[in-house]
Amino acid sequence: MAVHAFTMSDLEYAEIRSHRLLGFLFFLISDCVIFGDFIFSYLYLRNAAPIWPPVGIERPYLYLAAVNSVVLFGSGATMHFAMEAFRHSNRTRFVGLLLATIVLGSLFLGGQAYEYTHLRDTWAGSTFGASFFTLTGMHGFHVFIGVIFLITVLIQTLRGTYSAHRYFGLTAATLYWHFVDVIWVALFFLFYIY
Amino acid sequence: MSVTNVGHPASSHIHPPPDTFIKKYVFSLDHKVIAVQYFITGGLFFVLAGLLAELMRVQLMGPNNHVLSISTYNQAYSVHGSAMVWLVIIPLLTGGFGNLVMPLQIGARDVAFPWLNMISFWLFPPAGILLFASFLYGAPQAGWTEYPPFSVQASFGTSMWCMAIFLIGVSATITGLNFLVTIVKMRAPGMTWTRTPLFVWATGVTAFLSMIATANLSAALAGLFIQREFGVPFYDVSRGGAPVLWQHVFWFYSHPAVYIMILPAFGIVSEVIPTFVRRPIFGYKAIAYSSATIGLLSFMVWAHHMFTSGLQHWEQFAFMVLTMLIAVPTGIKIFSWVASLWGGKIRLDSPLLFVFGFLSTFTFGGVTGILLASVPVDVHEHASYFVVAHLHYVLFGGSMFGIFAGIYYWWPKMTGRLLDERLGKWHFWSMFVAFNATFLPMHWIGLHGMPRRVATYDPIYTSTNEFVSISAFVLGLSMLLFAYNALRSAKNGEIAGPNPWGGRTLEWMIPSPAPYYNFKEIPIVLSGPYDYGKPLPYANVDQELATVPVH
Repeated sequence: MAVHAFTMSDLEYAEIRSHRLLGFLFFLISDCVIFGDFIFSYLYLRNAAPIWPPVGIERPYLYLAAVNSVVLFGSGATMHFAMEAFRHSNRTRFVGLLLATIVLGSLFLGGQAYEYTHLRDTWAGSTFGASFFTLTGMHGFHVFIGVIFLITVLIQTLRGTYSAHRYFGLTAATLYWHFVDVIWVALFFLFYIY
Repeated sequence: MSVTNVGHPASSHIHPPPDTFIKKYVFSLDHKVIAVQYFITGGLFFVLAGLLAELMRVQLMGPNNHVLSISTYNQAYSVHGSAMVWLVIIPLLTGGFGNLVMPLQIGARDVAFPWLNMISFWLFPPAGILLFASFLYGAPQAGWTEYPPFSVQASFGTSMWCMAIFLIGVSATITGLNFLVTIVKMRAPGMTWTRTPLFVWATGVTAFLSMIATANLSAALAGLFIQREFGVPFYDVSRGGAPVLWQHVFWFYSHPAVYIMILPAFGIVSEVIPTFVRRPIFGYKAIAYSSATIGLLSFMVWAHHMFTSGLQHWEQFAFMVLTMLIAVPTGIKIFSWVASLWGGKIRLDSPLLFVFGFLSTFTFGGVTGILLASVPVDVHEHASYFVVAHLHYVLFGGSMFGIFAGIYYWWPKMTGRLLDERLGKWHFWSMFVAFNATFLPMHWIGLHGMPRRVATYDPIYTSTNEFVSISAFVLGLSMLLFAYNALRSAKNGEIAGPNPWGGRTLEWMIPSPAPYYNFKEIPIVLSGPYDYGKPLPYANVDQELATVPVH
């Protein structure tokens, strides 16, 4: 029995790519729901508490987080321009900007680690700590996964896996990175400003 | 025989045929094999969870019985409920029927991501094993809802429960994502939304609910787990947490989950009725769009489970009205199905019998649901046997009857053989009578004031409970008829042929059991699937194969 060959034509690839893109979008939506659940929990506990933040708990330091946010949003910008460079087939510029994104992402993680070690409140210490460490920890984990993802994309680029028409991994990494950025906007507002 | 590409390039893209036993039957990528894996695993858990129910009925044969200790009884109903919801009904309906039927009905060669499908299945058996193994470490005792503070204080078994349900939750989320992409992207050319079979509509809405709501459940369970294991104070009231928060996040999943457990059954009913009545289904669009409406409304009603948890009056009122609103799309479906029978040529084979069982019991359960949705009634009936009766009428009388209708209907497509019709009728009648004898009296003792989830009761309820227990044993025995029927058919049942019932949806246009590539050529759909009396609306299918004389 002859079965058709498993090399894909460009047309087939475009179809497969659209499936993966939609699937990845759905993944991001469900991920968003997971963050949403804990954000709801935070707001609920905050609303139920007589005093906020709970007695003896100091809010985390705004300025460190602000600097860290600038680093993360900067990495979003470098990622955006990296993608632009890729679309214009400017490989050197693309690799440079991708590297910059990886470095900025790692810097953000370093900043978060510094913040964690210098906070007196703990995960199990209070309802504030519970929400703060769960949400920012989950977000940090996402940034970590994102950095790994970007390193993989970099390796794939250097190995020449992507062509001008076939670069789903790169698209997914970009979407994921911007998603992680957007989540941080919400978390920054909720924990440092609100 | 060569497989050629026609029309849709993506649906024709398929993994190569499996060559080893492991690839073919264990880590299979084929949606039909994965469906059978779900049926077998879910069936085993159905037996285990059913035995727990029988054990509870033994305990309740008399007041102050000592067959089970109080805590063992608590464990029995908690694991029974959790297993029936997460290891039986949801995997059978979504993983089983969704996998078996949906890709065939849309004319695809597999789901969008066969790999994810396989992973999704393989998260399921470990989840079940974890849940039942929790008995070794003190199984959860706070019911399938696991309200804090009890669930926070209970022994390690509750953490195992969290992990088990987390795994099954991830599995359901992945399946939902996978199915939704499949349904949105991979319908055969010409299959517009209003030409899509109703089971696919139902599965699509279910997939959406699984994706959104189940992700939320995973987060809630993670919260309970870290509360228990690391003392992170989300739900612990002594440290500023809020037990009611758990109720919110849990029911924000679990009310949509009620529809995850019933919408595919609605889909099965919508497929069986036109085939066995041999006329177009009444109100195709009404049934399709009401599924979507139910899906949306289901996210807005969760707090009707919490009328006694100290909600504001305006919240109670809002949730009461929204809950009652869901009866409208559901009622539209019921009326459409009943209207479909009108003037039809009804052939009362076992799938249709189970559908009639579904219609009567589910409608009854729906009506008691309206009663419970109204705040003044619910405040009195909350946590009484009335609720137990109601939920079994919708989940057993609805979902399980739907599952059996689907099994009798698609068994030939799955195995290539027919189930014995006489045994099927015996199975239906014994199950139907025993089901009603078991759960109908619970309404009365519930209204009378017998609380649920208690290992004993006031002696005035003794005679009713004896009757219920004996009926429950008969109900359990009636399942043996099905097991016997299934084993007999698998071994030497009558060969079914491609289209034993004269169905018109795409799964009946191919041989039984379906070959691994499903369709030689991707079919082209010219109109809706239920126009009985007109020529088949497909190009690129073997018309002769599909029009063999109806069995």
